[in-house]
Amino acid sequence: MKLRDVYKSIFCFAILSLFCLPWTVSAAQLNFQSDTILRMLERDTTTKDSAAVLPIYEYIQLDIGTPDEPGLSFHLYGWGRLDMADNDYYDDSTAGELLYSYIEYTGEQAAFNARLGRQYLFEGVADTAIDGLRLSSDLGKYFSGSVYAGLPVDYSNENGRDGDSIYGARIANHMTGWYDLGLSYQKISNDSDSDEKAGMDLSAYLPLGINLYGFSSLNLDTDEWAEHSYELRFSAGPVGIRPYFQKFRYEDYFGTDNTSVNPFAFLANSGEELTVVGTEATLPIGNSWTLVANIKNYDYKVLSDSSRYYSGKVIWSGEEGTQLGGEAGLMDGDTDQNKYLLVRVYGYWTQLPAMLPVGYVSSELMYVDYDQAIYGEDSSFFVSVGVGQKFLDDALDVKVSGDYSKDPYYDEDLQAMVTLSYRFGKDL
Amino acid sequence: MRKNIWLTIGLVFLLLGLAACAALDSGKELPLQHMSAADLGDKTTTCTNCHDARGEKLAFGDFNHTPTWMTTHKYQANQNAAVCAMCHQTSYCNSCHATKLELKPSERNQSESYRQMPHRGDYLTRHRIDGRIDPTSCFRCHGKPKSAKTCAPCHG
Repeated sequence: MKLRDVYKSIFCFAILSLFCLPWTVSAAQLNFQSDTILRMLERDTTTKDSAAVLPIYEYIQLDIGTPDEPGLSFHLYGWGRLDMADNDYYDDSTAGELLYSYIEYTGEQAAFNARLGRQYLFEGVADTAIDGLRLSSDLGKYFSGSVYAGLPVDYSNENGRDGDSIYGARIANHMTGWYDLGLSYQKISNDSDSDEKAGMDLSAYLPLGINLYGFSSLNLDTDEWAEHSYELRFSAGPVGIRPYFQKFRYEDYFGTDNTSVNPFAFLANSGEELTVVGTEATLPIGNSWTLVANIKNYDYKVLSDSSRYYSGKVIWSGEEGTQLGGEAGLMDGDTDQNKYLLVRVYGYWTQLPAMLPVGYVSSELMYVDYDQAIYGEDSSFFVSVGVGQKFLDDALDVKVSGDYSKDPYYDEDLQAMVTLSYRFGKDL
Repeated sequence: MRKNIWLTIGLVFLLLGLAACAALDSGKELPLQHMSAADLGDKTTTCTNCHDARGEKLAFGDFNHTPTWMTTHKYQANQNAAVCAMCHQTSYCNSCHATKLELKPSERNQSESYRQMPHRGDYLTRHRIDGRIDPTSCFRCHGKPKSAKTCAPCHG
């Protein structure tokens, strides 16, 4: 019997076990959301120049349960796409993915939580989707923990390989108001190969209002650190300051086993180490204005050179989500081919006269100037305009937008998009 | 082999611990859902409107959804998924963090220009430079076989 079959048996048993758990006595709710997106664009394909590309996307979300009370619930989310023009732009005229579909049980005590099915994990060293079981709970006043096991969705049936198993855990120690320290582990087995790593995540609340956040990961196959990422947050008067530090060893971060993919597999063998150091400063002015400045330095071990990125933002926030903003960024790379200047302005305006048939107007303009021409072009110009309105007591949201781009890849590219979002809720 | 035995023992102990301690509260329990903005009569995106910047359960100040939150929420979300879940379904996070997406986040939410989505505008050109400068920023979302399919047509 293959390990995969063993897991399937365990999951079937666990699904049946979950139905033995007590259902909450409160009335459950059913919430459904459908997002239908139609895009219209033109592309040169292998069979036709300026061929129409008309993909229609459907995103479906379904939630059944009592969102504000412990108990049993079910959650599902996925998307599908059909190219109505079928002009050979896509490899397949249809595509799709079930992003999650799981049964969840939330206990009344100790934040106990059990999830069974396809789910996305984002905790400690885990940043992946599994078909499997995850359990988590507080472990008394100072500790909490989680364990998971199943099949790795990311590796299923890709490049002729079958993902075999994934399992891992995280245990965390808390001193409320002082620190949270998490230790995590994950192993992905894929036929005869495996990817094994451990991680440490930290939040520490230091004197003088200084908070420290960080994460380190260790590649257990090479016993070398793959990543260190840390940042401080504190205020100097009205200015919020966020200095940060990151260090990556490409070989250990990207991995050199057969779970590694291009172009990262190539970079993994370069022996490179990247160190990023930067600071972001945020100054709110009154309730409406925010100024942001950021400087970031990239330093390399093998390349023996460095690059810098400088940016500044001005943002004005109004009532009901209205926002206007501008951003300028300068990438000062080590060579001319790694340098550009970016300017972006945008607006999202909801406070419109009642006589207008739309609920908001959005717009965006972006210009990028490259120091070295790419395909004979030394700049990109992009502009986007959109409008939206809600109907049926806000259950139906209709959005229409259009984009124009002139850049090194496309001489003149026009795109349009229509989105229909429909929400439905019902007490069961 | 010896390492695997110790890891297995550790995981089994953690599993048993979860079962045994599942009735022991930490004193840090959070509500499953946050009050809505309509019920609260205030924006739920600025936590410090109601909570202390360093509250008893969380450093609420660092959860304020400032205009830069979209690019700086990594550590808070990684350690406190339950806090995010009080207001957001996982589908909200899946706009960017997912196994396989065909529409990039800025296309999926095209008209929400205020959300500081990654890859806005002509990122196809810009990624040549950003990718050379810092490929680790690409790897977080495109580093696995399914998610790397968007890279495959050019990068193999």
